[in-house]
Amino acid sequence: MLTACAARTRAAPMLLPDHEFSKPANLQDSLAKLANTSGEIKLLAGGTDVIFNMRGRLFNPDVLLSISELPELQGIEQLADGTVSLGAGCRLTELERHPLVRQYPGLAAGFRAVASRHVRNMATLGGNLNLDTRCWYANQTAEWREAKGRCLKTGLKVCHAIKSSDICVALNASDVAPALLALDASVVLASLKGERTVKLADYYTDDGVEHTVRRPDEIMVRVLFPKNSDRMAYIKETARKGNDFAYATIAASADGQGQQCSRARIVLGSLTTRPVLLLKTATVIGERGLDDAAIEAAVTEVRDELGALTNLYTPAAYKGRIARVLVRKALLQLREL
Amino acid sequence: MAGKRQVMMLTINGDDYEMLVSPRQTLLDVIRDQVGLTGTKEGCTTGSCGVCTINNDRGEAVLSCLTPALEWQGKAITTIEGLEVNGELDALQNAFLDYGAVQCGFCTPGVLMSARAVINGSGRPSEEDINDGMAGVLCRCTGHIKVKEAIRNVASYNNKT
Repeated sequence: MLTACAARTRAAPMLLPDHEFSKPANLQDSLAKLANTSGEIKLLAGGTDVIFNMRGRLFNPDVLLSISELPELQGIEQLADGTVSLGAGCRLTELERHPLVRQYPGLAAGFRAVASRHVRNMATLGGNLNLDTRCWYANQTAEWREAKGRCLKTGLKVCHAIKSSDICVALNASDVAPALLALDASVVLASLKGERTVKLADYYTDDGVEHTVRRPDEIMVRVLFPKNSDRMAYIKETARKGNDFAYATIAASADGQGQQCSRARIVLGSLTTRPVLLLKTATVIGERGLDDAAIEAAVTEVRDELGALTNLYTPAAYKGRIARVLVRKALLQLREL
Repeated sequence: MAGKRQVMMLTINGDDYEMLVSPRQTLLDVIRDQVGLTGTKEGCTTGSCGVCTINNDRGEAVLSCLTPALEWQGKAITTIEGLEVNGELDALQNAFLDYGAVQCGFCTPGVLMSARAVINGSGRPSEEDINDGMAGVLCRCTGHIKVKEAIRNVASYNNKT
């Protein structure tokens, strides 16, 4: 039985901001739309971040370009040279349960750490890696923001979080990025000119507004990481497990077994504008292994490597401390893997 | 530049609906205001509370408040109204009654659709499966203990059959 429903909408403030909705059938048409449209375009995948920000009127795009069902963004596979390729359009639920991903338990933990099952049934890998940065002065209602006064994220040259800052210091909240950084992943960006591959370590910037190097005409299509047998520890510290954004996340990987190891990668997330690869801290572990003294020596390096910290969501002093606690905890876990 | 309304087909609980939908409407807006199925509730609209939960065509729990209606062109969904079939309550609904897993009832549609997804995903969900599937939906009255008892009851019934 087919029922025709009369058009009926609610009061405008309760609706999403006005925009054109476009859902091309393939990547080529999507890239063309992206390149040939004047005005602001937002890419829509799972929607859990974009629609949230549109509701708050932080995003007011002219066009919403849905890439959620592009076939070119799907697929989880191992390439001939062993490289693992994850489609940017894969949903997090699909990723965390895939046999290939489960060979990397730290990465599966990173996918599982994101929000709730409900959100992971919608949210995608590309969406999580491109999650907008968050700040409690910007992620408010439009009325709240206007009352406080705008900031770097909303069109003025003012930062309310760090008064002296001339760039936006909003936090990167991706739970997945630290895990993929620990695996030395790269991302593949497509545009009408072709594809380019960028190391995830070079993908994020220190500016909370333009927080990735993705150009407006590009779509993230795949994430690649080399096959490896390193062990990895992943921890998300948050208020309520199973829903909230992180206070901090850590992913730490190393080769070898027990206290033996010759190289390590340690990544902290959700503390600053970008996930931070702790190179010096990891070097200590690479040179000295994972005995107690080496771990303590590594922990003393952490604070310097983090750079400036804000009071956003948690106090700066807490951020400095949780970073050290998590590095110690992750390295102790790593030793047992 | 105003977004054009688009004609959209949507199958809800097995019934087909045809309607003119604005890009400004979320799936929740369409289900409640346009189709008139008001069992699905609007809570936080930010993805924190889960009361707007519906099931997609794979029987998974998704949040209808965080997705534009036009994303669902041609798709099939199940809402709380679809749990009851021919006047017979779903096994979960009966279990919720038996275990008193409802207090004020506002979150119950979201809780039931989340629980349905847990059972859909695995007919025999483990304790971890239940926690995982129910963490995204909040009961502000009392908590999740009786809800979990009701789900366990249905799961254990499934285990026997």
